[in-house]
Amino acid sequence: MQGRIIRGMSPTEILDTLRESEGYYLCNNERDVSQSDFKNRLMPMTTVRVAPYREAAGFFSVEVSGGASVHVDLMRKQVNPFERLRITRKAMPRTLLQTVCRGSSLFGYRHYPENVIRLTVREFARYVDVWRVYDFLNHVPNLVPVMEEVQEASRLLMPSICFSTGPEHTDRYYVDKVKEILEVTGPDVIISIKNYAGLGTPKRITQLVESIGAAFPGLVLHYHGCNTDGNDIGRMSAAVLAGVKIVDVADHGYGAIYGQAPALTLIQALDDYGKKAVGVDIPSLIQSSDLLRQERKIYEPFESPFRGHDPTVAAYKLTGGAVGSVFEQADKGGFLERLPEILTEMARVQAELGNWWSVTPGSQIIWTTAVNNVLHGRYERPSLDLKNILLGRYGPLPFFKPDAWICEKVLEFQRYDSKKWPQILASEGGIQKSGDADLKMERRRLEGELDRPVSDEDLVLYLQFPFDAVSFFKFQARCGKAWLLPPEVWFRRGGFKDGECITFADEFGVPHHIEVISTRREGANVITTLMVDHSFQTFSVQVEDPHKAQAAG
Amino acid sequence: MVDKRVFSKVLVANRGEIAVRIMRSAQELGLKVVAIYEETDKDAFHIMRADEAVCIGSGPRKDYLNIDKIILAAQQTGAQAIHPGYGFLAENPDFPEACTNAGLVFIGPPPEVIRNLGSKVIARKIAQATGVRVIPATEMLAPGAPGEEAALAFAAAHGFPIMIKAVSGGGGRGIRQVGDRDSLLTGLKRSRSEALMSFGDDNIYLEKCVNRPRHVEVQILADSYGNVVHLGTRNCSIQRRHQKLIEIAPAGLDPALTGEICDAAVRVARAAEYLSAGTVEFLVEHDGTYYFLEVNTRLQVEHTVTEVLTGIDIVREQLLIAMGEPISFSQAQVHERGFAIELRINAEDPKNDFLASPGLVEVYRSSAGHGVRLDGTIYQGYRITPYYDSLIVKLTVYGFTWREAVDRMARALNGFLIIGVKTTIPYFQQIVKEPDFIRMNLDTAYIDDHPQLMGYREQEREVEKLARLIAEINAHEKNPYTQ
Repeated sequence: MQGRIIRGMSPTEILDTLRESEGYYLCNNERDVSQSDFKNRLMPMTTVRVAPYREAAGFFSVEVSGGASVHVDLMRKQVNPFERLRITRKAMPRTLLQTVCRGSSLFGYRHYPENVIRLTVREFARYVDVWRVYDFLNHVPNLVPVMEEVQEASRLLMPSICFSTGPEHTDRYYVDKVKEILEVTGPDVIISIKNYAGLGTPKRITQLVESIGAAFPGLVLHYHGCNTDGNDIGRMSAAVLAGVKIVDVADHGYGAIYGQAPALTLIQALDDYGKKAVGVDIPSLIQSSDLLRQERKIYEPFESPFRGHDPTVAAYKLTGGAVGSVFEQADKGGFLERLPEILTEMARVQAELGNWWSVTPGSQIIWTTAVNNVLHGRYERPSLDLKNILLGRYGPLPFFKPDAWICEKVLEFQRYDSKKWPQILASEGGIQKSGDADLKMERRRLEGELDRPVSDEDLVLYLQFPFDAVSFFKFQARCGKAWLLPPEVWFRRGGFKDGECITFADEFGVPHHIEVISTRREGANVITTLMVDHSFQTFSVQVEDPHKAQAAG
Repeated sequence: MVDKRVFSKVLVANRGEIAVRIMRSAQELGLKVVAIYEETDKDAFHIMRADEAVCIGSGPRKDYLNIDKIILAAQQTGAQAIHPGYGFLAENPDFPEACTNAGLVFIGPPPEVIRNLGSKVIARKIAQATGVRVIPATEMLAPGAPGEEAALAFAAAHGFPIMIKAVSGGGGRGIRQVGDRDSLLTGLKRSRSEALMSFGDDNIYLEKCVNRPRHVEVQILADSYGNVVHLGTRNCSIQRRHQKLIEIAPAGLDPALTGEICDAAVRVARAAEYLSAGTVEFLVEHDGTYYFLEVNTRLQVEHTVTEVLTGIDIVREQLLIAMGEPISFSQAQVHERGFAIELRINAEDPKNDFLASPGLVEVYRSSAGHGVRLDGTIYQGYRITPYYDSLIVKLTVYGFTWREAVDRMARALNGFLIIGVKTTIPYFQQIVKEPDFIRMNLDTAYIDDHPQLMGYREQEREVEKLARLIAEINAHEKNPYTQ
């Protein structure tokens, strides 16, 4: 396909191709769709199943890593995030793989020591071709170590400006922010507009793109939006018509509620304006979605308790990646009926705290504050993270400080040294840079935990998520590579029927068959007899019998 | 004139793989076979391979050692001959004597041969009489102070280290190495009491310790017509605590030395008036000096390497010799070609000092293919008891070259799937890729010199792990790892 960008091209070649192109390119943001619409539960095997069609569909890139997915891979899916990348690379050898990284917070929720940041990026850069990097306060120094390492690894750098709405969010502000970034990176990058909550009108996006384009001719722009309000096709179309070269999209058979808008809808809309999606093969795009429509049934339990678009997001401004999760939290916490009240409070908190960007980890801070305010009284139960943001631990607040009464409630909360908030702010405020981590000692500690030598990849995961990484490594040693199981088996509820046969291929393509022969309950044990590759095996698992527990209850 | 002793039914006075092995040759000759078993061994594989089976007692072990019960079983079933296999009663001269007295054919040497060669001291004398060098040693040591004096005098003459050996010992048992005067004196007492407990005979003697020798043995066959032939050498140097782990044929000596040692073995067998199959063992120093060690008056565990290399069925020959037939080939017809390696896959945990690992064999899939011979005794669903030898299958491979044999062994080891019990397979998998083994640079210090062989990690098949995971998802009726 003419003009298609494929793996193996250097960042310069890619940028030249993009600059010269009359059309636009599509990034399939599988990762964000999974995070926004399926609580990040998408299993690698689904990616593998759809990979041949996506590879043929001709995307500029597929985002399969980053954001919350790294942590959720370890914690809820028992998948090694590096293995996910290796599998995807093998299944889609020509397509660029993309990640999104939270600057100094990497794939976690706090700032990491600089040597941890650099090591992490080096390890992930072995697999990831395109790096979207952002900071939730748009504080450029927080991006620097990641950006330097990405460029050092000769990967394509995509620094992001987080976008929101309100009187402070002027074109001038964003143009200056782009300038600040380019001063660090040089011109050979793609600047991404991270419209994480799908805010603003198509007209507003046109203005923004045109302003940046006018300030930096030849700069390649990317647009990342989300479709919470149902209008991202409008914004994406506006972005492309104003000069954006790459847009994030979803498969129409999968997601497209709080995540990205469907690729085919955008193609059809822009076709009328004479704008073509470069390198895209529409039949393959349709085949991807046909397959994913079937696959989607597996992930249905992880969809939001509320379905459909929510145009009120324009007020509460929560990132699409968090919408499903907070709805679930409200459901599980027993306050789902108070959700409208909380979302209204979110909008209020957002404005009070400085109208910065409600994207990870800021989105969690605003959500938690809003929930606590509704349930316990306004700023009566401030979280440690809220205190830290007022102290400027993550970076300076970009527009204004909260009112004094909020600073007092938050900063003086549970202080017993009678210090007042201005004193606290003066003496304790600002980014506290931690020194480098002792990587040798951390490696020894992990090796001690696992009783085996560990790789740099293992170490990197451990440094970000010590507890969950160790749990995962122990799980994998005991249970193997769970991603090999079909997702419908991994997420199975209600057990297996006698005679049910589970067939899958291992990572070398060798097929295996596990047939459930019988299930028998004996006291606290459930004894499952399986035929494993044509040999009988019996496993006894101790479990509280749910039926007996119910009967007793 | 040799009497022909016709028999049509043989009782195999043994269990496990060797019982199965003997039954195969007997059945090939058209003989019926009778298995014996103890109640504690009632699920053993050898019982299923027999034409008839007799439970000889509640067990464990004691009934397989009970001569009267075994002879009664033979009489009850009409068996006219008894094959002892190895271990249990195979080297007890009372057993062939009792068989003869009961009118049964004993498939093995006569009792007086077993008795003479079973005594280390008499065996050494027989060897010396034929001009075969023996390791400098004492006579049987007298008990108490006179024995200690003789021991100290021997130490003064030959220096340390010294081996203390039980006169009735064998198979690597009843041997202690001592390095100084004090350990010699305490070792004498300990060896005596251990010999009494193990062999019912507390007689011991001393032997000069040969430094890092190779353990070489010669398979012989002797018939009632005065024919004695050898079937070449075996190298049994890889031993752990004097127990053979891996056996190789041929021993890898130069042809002249091989010829010399084989001739010496035949001379010893003739001098001992040997009959049936046996093994003459030697220690060979690195300069080629060799010493007579002992004669094993029975079929050896490792006879399979010789069979693979020569194509001769040693058990068949034993049966024919017992019938009064001559050996069915001449020395000139014995040809060796290539290399054979045999190792013992035991239900043991090498990581836990080779502790026996009894239990249910959940899955058993054996290896196969060109050049692979298996002499096994388990099946899927069999529960290995703690009462008997932990050998579950003997794996013998053939290769046209040494390297081919090593590669084939590595491949054959990978072909096993045994789940439920720990086995020695992972340990052997380390050995077959170890450079000294690949270079055939082997002596009796090999295991001690290569402690890193123990540093392996047990690998579980990925599919087994996933099967366990499926069982967990099934038991919980949801995936407990996604919450």
